[in-house]
Amino acid sequence: MKPILEVKNLKMYYNTRSGYVKAADDVSFVLNEGEAMGLVGESGCGKTTTSMAIMRLLAENAEIISGHIYFKGKDLLKLSEEEMNKVRWAGISMIFQAAMNSLNPVYRVGDQIIEAIVTHEPNVTFEEARERVASLYKLVGLDPKRMDNYPHEYSGGMKQRAVIAMSLSCNPDIIIADEPTTALDVIVQDMILKEMSRIQKKLNMSMIYISHDIAVIAEVAEKIGIMYAGKLVELSDSVTIFKKPAHPYTVGLMSSFPSIKGEKKELVTIPGEPPNLLNAPDSCRFAPRCPFATKECWEKEPPYEEIEPNHFLACFHPQNLRKQVSEYARG
Amino acid sequence: MPEVEMVDATDVVLKVENLKKFFPVRKGVFSRVRSFLHAVDDVSFEIKRGEVLALVGESGCGKTTTGKTLVRLHSPTDGKITFLNRDVTHLRSAVDRKWFHGKSQMIFQDPFESLNPRKTIFDIVSEPMNIQSEGSLKYREEKTMEILKRVGISPPNAFLWRYPHELSGGQRQRVAIARALVMNPEFVVADEPTSMLDVSIRTQVMKLMMNLISDMHMSFLYITHDLAVARYMSDYISVMYLGKMVEYGETEEVIQNPLHPYTKALISAVPVPDPEFKRKSIQIKGGIGKAIDPLPRCRFYDRCPFAMDVCAKEEPSLVDVDDGHKVACFLYDKKEE
Repeated sequence: MKPILEVKNLKMYYNTRSGYVKAADDVSFVLNEGEAMGLVGESGCGKTTTSMAIMRLLAENAEIISGHIYFKGKDLLKLSEEEMNKVRWAGISMIFQAAMNSLNPVYRVGDQIIEAIVTHEPNVTFEEARERVASLYKLVGLDPKRMDNYPHEYSGGMKQRAVIAMSLSCNPDIIIADEPTTALDVIVQDMILKEMSRIQKKLNMSMIYISHDIAVIAEVAEKIGIMYAGKLVELSDSVTIFKKPAHPYTVGLMSSFPSIKGEKKELVTIPGEPPNLLNAPDSCRFAPRCPFATKECWEKEPPYEEIEPNHFLACFHPQNLRKQVSEYARG
Repeated sequence: MPEVEMVDATDVVLKVENLKKFFPVRKGVFSRVRSFLHAVDDVSFEIKRGEVLALVGESGCGKTTTGKTLVRLHSPTDGKITFLNRDVTHLRSAVDRKWFHGKSQMIFQDPFESLNPRKTIFDIVSEPMNIQSEGSLKYREEKTMEILKRVGISPPNAFLWRYPHELSGGQRQRVAIARALVMNPEFVVADEPTSMLDVSIRTQVMKLMMNLISDMHMSFLYITHDLAVARYMSDYISVMYLGKMVEYGETEEVIQNPLHPYTKALISAVPVPDPEFKRKSIQIKGGIGKAIDPLPRCRFYDRCPFAMDVCAKEEPSLVDVDDGHKVACFLYDKKEE
């Protein structure tokens, strides 16, 4: 598999009056062609920040301290704003959180997608763009007749489908979907996730799904990255993450989720709350909540290393942890 | 009339019979009421002491309206609500209202909006005692500290004079729970109390509520759209669809053996946190509509993969199919005959 996106040691801090908020701290991962990856974590863990950094859609006080983002070999962080505009949408497109509210209420839905196409590909005529939108509508399961409707005439699920059609409009290589189904009901969520998975496989695109819901990620992603307090703490294929998690936070997250299938298990709670990232200390950020924390964890930051092929982890105690962790999860 | 409160431990705390709540839909030049939205239509159930009933369904199915009507934030259009053997459908006198609202409480979904930002934690939590004119100021302070400690806000005296904006989401929801429980209510409606919280905090709050329910022996109506959460929290599940209760039964029974086609579709659509599990979901057509002046037929008719002629002509009623497992569907009604 060929890598298409490589994020290397990305550090993105927000500069505030009281100091730096370390929103994404030393994040590294590789996304291969045709791969669906999931980024999981709680709010404020840096998953949206990471994706915004990839798109270079950053707030004014955001500072990229160090790191590289290679997209097809080019470092996106070195591109000029104009060059970046060409990458956005045509190279990497994004489905934003609460996408249903990202449609402009006073324009017809179809016209908004046409606008995206015409802006990025100036040689495409209006008619061609319209035809492309019609075929995109069919691809995402919408009736092309509904192109001339306004957003308020669409249901939540339909708006989500339209936004997906829009993200596909310039044939991107990568789509980043930030909480694509969070506002939807279960049945609609199920349909949309199936649709996205199907399109991703059909067009052999790369996807990054961002969600707080591990059950959703388990359904769509082949590779999962777990983020905690601005750090990527564990990254591996989805089966390893679910069956053999190594980071105590991953284990806690996995066993704190209720499931509708299987035996009704006792839920494990992770004590405490996520830390404030303002001037975050150089220790393991999970240490205050970790049942296995030792002195070392409070003093140094654990390195992010490959412990097994394709299994990355930032924890000092991966070897002896497995056994303890399984005991902890049981009771 | 507080003498009639003599109920033993197994008794029914809340009994709801044929509850209806319609909202007028105004249209036209003179805003005349042309039609009604049937938010809750002919719903009946009962909750025993110490029992948790989960009300599940998609948004717009009437679960929140049901909850709000039960604590009388809405007045019912029709039907009867009996609470501790007293009719509380209308609550005409001030004495009745005070009695009822002292014993029934509600926990809201969003702790960022349900707490008054200009009041301290003490003001918020002690307000029910204030309204019920219970005890002296000192007593209220002690009681507030006690309940804050119970919901895991410790040390309570460090939080008493703080404002909601100084608290995290999880702490705020704990305060909202403390406010609901400070009067030792008999019956509590919790409307999606964990859906705004983060994953690791959500489990903490769910466990806290479960402990409090068993400690304080309350009856609980837990409103949620998340069937996996309902499975962990409740003893009984009731599934609503467009204002109708379509299925009711013991939680494990409904989850493992759903009968109504809608419940089946709903359960099959829940994502499973296991990448190796291949889930088969039941496809149903279309989306959820609005029950504005609905036709007298099964409300799931348009979307149901098993729809029959009879479903278009009559409304199915909730019948007991198997030892307390009730379903409103003609697929099961026929077998009885």
